[in-house]
Amino acid sequence: MLKHLLIKEFKQVFRQREMVAIIFLVPVIQLLILGYAINLDVKHVRLGIFDEDRTALSRRIVDTFDASGYFDLVPTENENSASLLDAGQADIVLKIPRDFERDIGRGKAAELAVITDAQNSNTAGIAAAYTQELLRNFWEGEVNRKLRAQPALRNRLHRLALRSQAYYNPELVSVYYMVPGIVVILLTVMTTLLTALGIVREKEIGTLEQLMVTPISKFHFIAGKTVPFIIIAFIELAVALLVGTLWFGIPFRGSLWLLAGTASLFLLTTLGVGLFISTISNTQQQALFFAWFFMVFGMLMSGFFTPIENMPQAFQFLTYLNPLRYFMVIIRAVFLKDSSAGDLSGEIFALALFGIVIFSLALLRFRKRIA
Amino acid sequence: MRLWAIIKKEFFHILRDPRSLGIIVLMPLLMVLIFGYAINLNLKNIPIAVVDNDHSADSRRLIHAFSRSGYFEVRAYPANAADFEALFRAGKIKGGLTIPRGFATSIVTQLETPVQIIVDGSDGNVGQTILQYSEAILMDFSARITPQQMQMPIEMRPRFWYNETLQSANFIVPGLVAVILMMISALLTSITIAREKETGTLEQLLAAPVHPVEIIVGKVVPYIALALLDGLIIIGAGLLIFDVPFRGSAVVLLMGTLIYLYPCLALGLLISTLSRTQQVAMMQALIITILPSVMLSGFIFPIASMPKLHQFISSVIPATYYLRIIRGVLLKGADAASLAPQALGLLVLGTVLLGLAVKQFKVKID
Amino acid sequence: MSGTANNYAVEARDLTRRFGNFTAVDRITIAVRRGEVFGFLGANGAGKTTAIRMFCGLLKPTSGEGRVAGLDIMRESEKIKRRIGYMSQKFSLYDDLKVKENLHFFGGVYGLPDGELQTRLKESLARFNLESVEHEMTERLPPGWKQRLALGCALMHDPEIIFLDEPTGGVDPVARRHFWDIIHGLAAAGKTVFVTTHYMDEAEYCDRISIMHRGRLIALDTPANLKKKMQKATVQDLFVDLIRSEDTA
Repeated sequence: MLKHLLIKEFKQVFRQREMVAIIFLVPVIQLLILGYAINLDVKHVRLGIFDEDRTALSRRIVDTFDASGYFDLVPTENENSASLLDAGQADIVLKIPRDFERDIGRGKAAELAVITDAQNSNTAGIAAAYTQELLRNFWEGEVNRKLRAQPALRNRLHRLALRSQAYYNPELVSVYYMVPGIVVILLTVMTTLLTALGIVREKEIGTLEQLMVTPISKFHFIAGKTVPFIIIAFIELAVALLVGTLWFGIPFRGSLWLLAGTASLFLLTTLGVGLFISTISNTQQQALFFAWFFMVFGMLMSGFFTPIENMPQAFQFLTYLNPLRYFMVIIRAVFLKDSSAGDLSGEIFALALFGIVIFSLALLRFRKRIA
Repeated sequence: MRLWAIIKKEFFHILRDPRSLGIIVLMPLLMVLIFGYAINLNLKNIPIAVVDNDHSADSRRLIHAFSRSGYFEVRAYPANAADFEALFRAGKIKGGLTIPRGFATSIVTQLETPVQIIVDGSDGNVGQTILQYSEAILMDFSARITPQQMQMPIEMRPRFWYNETLQSANFIVPGLVAVILMMISALLTSITIAREKETGTLEQLLAAPVHPVEIIVGKVVPYIALALLDGLIIIGAGLLIFDVPFRGSAVVLLMGTLIYLYPCLALGLLISTLSRTQQVAMMQALIITILPSVMLSGFIFPIASMPKLHQFISSVIPATYYLRIIRGVLLKGADAASLAPQALGLLVLGTVLLGLAVKQFKVKID
Repeated sequence: MSGTANNYAVEARDLTRRFGNFTAVDRITIAVRRGEVFGFLGANGAGKTTAIRMFCGLLKPTSGEGRVAGLDIMRESEKIKRRIGYMSQKFSLYDDLKVKENLHFFGGVYGLPDGELQTRLKESLARFNLESVEHEMTERLPPGWKQRLALGCALMHDPEIIFLDEPTGGVDPVARRHFWDIIHGLAAAGKTVFVTTHYMDEAEYCDRISIMHRGRLIALDTPANLKKKMQKATVQDLFVDLIRSEDTA
């Protein structure tokens, strides 16, 4: 009996050309586009400098910023800081006051005003930090000029130097961590939504009632509705792995078996959510809303966009209810870090628990009866 | 009159399905509550491990500088840096700080004293940020060990306009308005028309002496109302709960929002003409709205840092323009004139999408 | 209900189903003999579909008891499902499967072994005159053809009792007539047919009819007996009369 359910389901999916495109083509396109360089880096910050001092020293500050590569200098003639920022022509404005060189020459502290467009609090903070860093670089240059003049000073100058190193991804290439993350999201969208819609659609057109008077068991029915998507999801995962490793050149260091095993657990959770949604929805529209909420929640609370540690404590607890959170960690760890099942035991256990609970809930709610 | 009949019918569809209505009203509220608090881009409490090979008062001072910053939380003190690896693999830490032996002596005798930070590159966004914040902490520390006469005499007075206290919510909440409105308008219109196609009622409507334009307008108006209601709920929650400022004019925002709904609804129509079933319509609408409008619109990731191709794609996403409008009005108090280019962008997008939808619709009829 | 159980295909005693405060089916008692064509008449909303859904195991009765094929509808609904065929109001078929595939699928989910499935499939295509469209997509069929296909699907597993819920809705008179020929053919082959309708002319084709009104059974006999008792020429007239007297009572 299961065989017939599966054959039917596959025929229904593969006969719709749009559906085949959505399931197989669109994810690859999205992966190819979104995998690239979408990250939180702050580059090309537009900087307006108002140099009211116009001395050799102030010019050297301007040159430091110009040469940095972080900043794109915008012209400031006939403008003031408010007009630049309000019109959105600059992200940050630096004002070098009159008498800047003279004050420094006299050993007096000079003040620089830095105004940042802080609509995006994150980039604003980073841009301000860059500015600070460049000022220090500039000052280092000044100190080095002094040292050339007075080598004796060298013994009295000390500073810390950052030696940075990134494990698993030395160049911090963003595709290395974005691509696996996008794969998780695409798998969630496909499996949750297709499962939920598939069942609710049969409710709407009445074939579910027809199936309920047949002797097929609840388990066969559910297997018939989920197995095709498990197979489709694994094909997508395989394609994504190929695209990730061959096209993007992401190293796959871990165990394929571990990835396949944990992916199965993850699919148990997303399909379980899809099934559960189908039991609480009467129309495809309702199912879509529930699925959409789950997906947006899953996506934004997974640690993919922002680190979970940044969240307030109560909301960090909320992320424990998010299966994407666990698989996001697992897929990156298996891909890049060659983490073992032991390393990931917490995540694996959580996924299994979530999957079993949501699947059981869906099974309990799913009746071979109406109402 | 006929138009009114269709509008009324569509409203009844919505009102008679309390579950859907409940979701449409409650979901945005729930989302703004969760994400307003949870999406915080400012680094906080990132777990790190420290190997202190010096065990001096100075090395402890440096560690203290890290933990006191609020950005980092020291979770482990392994014996040597080789142990970071196991902690990374188990996902216990995101970064490791190593202070070299002889640190205390070196900072008073040597020009440069190296301090090593290792980050977990598998979550590179966090890795990158850890390096930036560490650099700042090291610079602060350097300043304190530099003799007075060589200390930087320049004091930077940073000021943050439009979002003085750097609240993430001020950035995220307006973004949620854009994303949720997109969903309500594009998603709902696309499936409501596909549904009528599927159940055969579209045929019945087309047979009635109603102009197709009336049908479409009639179907769309209730969703405009719903979308505006949602926008109001989210903005209200943002103002009341998250203290998001509202510096501009409500009229400008309302105008901007209505203009934003134009390309969104046109997109929904285009999708509906491309899909025979609700299922296909939903999948298309979802895939188009969910990832690209979150990732490429500037909702979270800065557009200026994207490659040129992606900047182009982001320029054909309606949310990109609306984000500038709503953030401009709420945070900057921007006036209509300065937002005109964004509104123009939305109008052009909407007209192109609507044109495509109409063309597609005609192809179907012929 | 035990000793004589085998003589009846469908039995109900005081069968009741409530939805909240609304009583959809109110203490109905019937006994349908094997091989009978039993008509279930009533206006829309009289409770016919609710009753039929209880017999098919789709709804649990609130109270009362019922047996189908000698099996208890409360406890043995899964066993019942193997022995009955059910065709719902909407001819629920998969529009995106071909005619042959729908038949094949429903035969398959009833667990027919492959060989038998193929034979039954050929038989059904011939019997319901669907051979010419076997490779057509179901959505392209006219309503009368869809109806025959739906019946074919419900009969793939050769059930002994067949429940048909408004099987002729939206179908033209010629197709309806043809459909009733098929029903009588089934009865002649010893099948029990339990059919609901609100077309009064169709009632004349039934061995016995029962009339439901607001959840209750208000008449049950052969069409001839009922007409004689009420002194009416057609079932249509007696139905209108009965309903009117019920509503004024």
